[in-house]
Amino acid sequence: MNSILLGLVVIPLIKYLVVVAIVMTIVAWSTWAERKILGFMQARIGPNRAGPIGLLQPIADGIKLITKEDIIPSRSEKFLHLLGPILVFVPALMLFSVIPFGGESTIFGLLKEPVTLYVTDVNIGMILVLALSSLGIYGLILGGWASNNKYSLMGGLRSAAQMVSYEIPQGFAIVAVLILAGSLSLVRIVEAQAESGMWFIFPGFIAFFIFFVCAVAETNRTPFDLPEAESELVAGYHTEYSGMKFALFFMAEYANMVLVSSIGTVLFLGGWLPPFPSVTRGTMIDLPLFWFFAKVAVFLFLLIWFRATFPRYRFDQLMALGWKWLLPLAILNVIALAMLKLWVFA
Amino acid sequence: MKEKQSLGRWFRNLLLIDLFVGLYTSWKHMFRKKFTVQYPEERIDPTDRFRGIFKFLPDVCISCEMCAKACPIDIIYIEWHPEQTPEGKRKKVLDRFDIDVKRCMFCGLCEEACPTKPLAIYLTTKTYEGATYSRDEELYFDMEKLHTYTGLPDPPAEEKPAPKAPVPAPAGPDKALEKPAPGEISGSGEGGGGKE
Amino acid sequence: MFDIQELELNMGPQHPATHGVLRLVLKIDGERIISVDPHIGYLHRGTEKLFENQSYQANIPHTDRMDYVAAATNNQAYVGAVEKLLGIEVPERAMFIRIILAELQRIASHIVWLGTHALDLGALTPFFYGFREREMILDLFEEYCGARLTLNCMRIGGLPCDVPEGWLDRVREFVELFPEKLQDYHNLLTENRIWKLRTVDVGVISPEEAIDWGLTGPPLRGSGVQWDVRRALPYEVYDRLDFEIPIGNNGDTYDRYLVRMEEMRQSNRILEQCLKLIPEGDIIAKGVKIIKPKPAEVYFSVEAPKGELGFSIVSDGSDKPYRVKVRPPCFVNLQAIETLCKGHLIADVVAVIGTLDIVLGEIDR
Repeated sequence: MNSILLGLVVIPLIKYLVVVAIVMTIVAWSTWAERKILGFMQARIGPNRAGPIGLLQPIADGIKLITKEDIIPSRSEKFLHLLGPILVFVPALMLFSVIPFGGESTIFGLLKEPVTLYVTDVNIGMILVLALSSLGIYGLILGGWASNNKYSLMGGLRSAAQMVSYEIPQGFAIVAVLILAGSLSLVRIVEAQAESGMWFIFPGFIAFFIFFVCAVAETNRTPFDLPEAESELVAGYHTEYSGMKFALFFMAEYANMVLVSSIGTVLFLGGWLPPFPSVTRGTMIDLPLFWFFAKVAVFLFLLIWFRATFPRYRFDQLMALGWKWLLPLAILNVIALAMLKLWVFA
Repeated sequence: MKEKQSLGRWFRNLLLIDLFVGLYTSWKHMFRKKFTVQYPEERIDPTDRFRGIFKFLPDVCISCEMCAKACPIDIIYIEWHPEQTPEGKRKKVLDRFDIDVKRCMFCGLCEEACPTKPLAIYLTTKTYEGATYSRDEELYFDMEKLHTYTGLPDPPAEEKPAPKAPVPAPAGPDKALEKPAPGEISGSGEGGGGKE
Repeated sequence: MFDIQELELNMGPQHPATHGVLRLVLKIDGERIISVDPHIGYLHRGTEKLFENQSYQANIPHTDRMDYVAAATNNQAYVGAVEKLLGIEVPERAMFIRIILAELQRIASHIVWLGTHALDLGALTPFFYGFREREMILDLFEEYCGARLTLNCMRIGGLPCDVPEGWLDRVREFVELFPEKLQDYHNLLTENRIWKLRTVDVGVISPEEAIDWGLTGPPLRGSGVQWDVRRALPYEVYDRLDFEIPIGNNGDTYDRYLVRMEEMRQSNRILEQCLKLIPEGDIIAKGVKIIKPKPAEVYFSVEAPKGELGFSIVSDGSDKPYRVKVRPPCFVNLQAIETLCKGHLIADVVAVIGTLDIVLGEIDR
């Protein structure tokens, strides 16, 4: 009884708290990284006053947002106004419980016995990811509706339509990976990459491309950031939010970014595996935790790089891109990969 | 009208070359020298002709009121009264020379109109930090303030690299600014000094 | 059965994309625009009345503040009009320096246009890259006349002062440095498929309609009409300089974008030639002291970065003008906004405002 309690409740809880702490730190400092990198690409230095090279800027932002007055529009639904940001933020955090940060390891000998570096390994992990990430859309719609502002409403609806449309090609891209891996469990997918000796980005590069474009659209980043574009709708669905609720929307966006980067890493870039896994598994290069976070960092850098460079799509062009181009491409990709797996990789 | 695309162009379209070219441009800039100045620790020194806040030399002024006439917004208020010097000559004594700086647009027409050498009123003081907390008291410069204003905020308590001090009283701005004035009137002529 | 109502949406005077205090009342059906009604006047300062109360020379700083992004060409237009009224000849050196200032100002104004237009459509970086070059131009202006934005850099009969030591060399440095920076802006936007999707076939106007509405400047040339005041009614020494007038094919936003980018390159060419051809000499016409023109009326126009900027001055013999009427290019260009926006989506209104390159200071005066 005791060991069941320990194994099924206490240890996962501790792990989850550690994971949440790490993820929230990454989310906070990814705002710093975004501002710095955006600044460097724009021939200027980003924040550099709050702490050395601006490292304490997220803390300054946090303090500012917490101490701000929480303005609620007078004729809005107060409960829905509060529920909106929560519904966007919580599923993102929940999903970090199924993402594998590593295999079994003792983290450089810090722990007495090896522990699995993920909170739990659900054998339908991928479906859980897809389902929970769709919950965030409700939060956006509620946020737009509860603001009692026609601009916000339009922004919220557009954002919802965009996210729903881009989930379908994303799903097909993921199906392509599932064909290659043979399992829905995220840990199994990484291990399949280890067994086949190469990251799934190589056979599935079109799937990776589709997944990446959909990831950018899911997180409402440039070039798909019309719902929150300042010059078009004055910040869209989070126009009427201030203080901590705005902070929740803001953190939810970055948490979604980190989440989608993590899933992309797990599915395509080999999770916690070092490059050339069949050769380097178990060697000096195979450091626990390092490769995973390095790959997530590369993903985040790509997202920031896109924001610095591209203009944004108009809404109808965005929808056309998702439905007319990415979806057929994704379906064809699935068919092609299935044929490849049947006749080449057997 | 769509022209027929060549094969090369179609291929470049497929491979998203245009997007990669854009990405490469912003990547390049990430590693270049940044074009920013860390104000207030570093300051850019304005150029010599920079039209900053005024400096007035009452000893040089001959109360001709050309600057007041040239000012597009009429913010220079001059009052003078004639006096007899002991030798029997008439001279003008300047009573009041005020400028309402909060309405000034720093166009420099008063400086151009001033006929004296060195200029009695000039803007090339390289000061631009004239922000104050109250408009009416501190942004209405009377003769005294115009003469002594240096334009810098109070130096901070601890040691910071001192910004460049403004040029106190140039002997006369650079030659190129001179233009034929209607008769050269030098500062120490029959106008004498103003109030001392 | 159901009554379809149009929604009246107010893109208010305070909006991040309306480039100043422009109010657009949009009537939309779903997301398609049915009509656009610009309401202006939020920045009206009575400039034309102010002109009547001051002497001709004192009016020059007021002209700076009309199109505050491109002050040198405003000065040039006003001063040119008064010179035409008085019938005086400007010395050659002064004319060349004026052209250098005007073309530098054209590049600076187009950089502001590029930065803000791209920013409205989501591309954050061309703004910063462009302003880096604009800083260099503004530093050149500061060295010359003492101010960066409200230049007051021309006088009736010529210029207030000669160029400082080494200024022409610094202009030459800028001229040599600029083409590769221009290529940077091209790399980010011109071939970019997202940019093309946002701007091709948006805000199309045919050449006949453009002439009917009285458009000038890049909106006119983007539709294919070859009209540039520098070529059609040459003033100062433009007839001696060799440059091309870029024109577009389709009259859409992308063509106007290309026209302005090419204009920047042509301005660079003009600067190069001016630096070679500039003679020594006076910088102001002799004997221009008291300006009291005989009663007459004159109209003089220049090619400002935004279009044809014209001044019509009526004098009555005194030293103050009797009436000064400004023909602001942005005011006339803004009239066409409904034709340009009809049938497009709301997101395109932002693109159209950007492509018309409006500055409210000039529209409202």
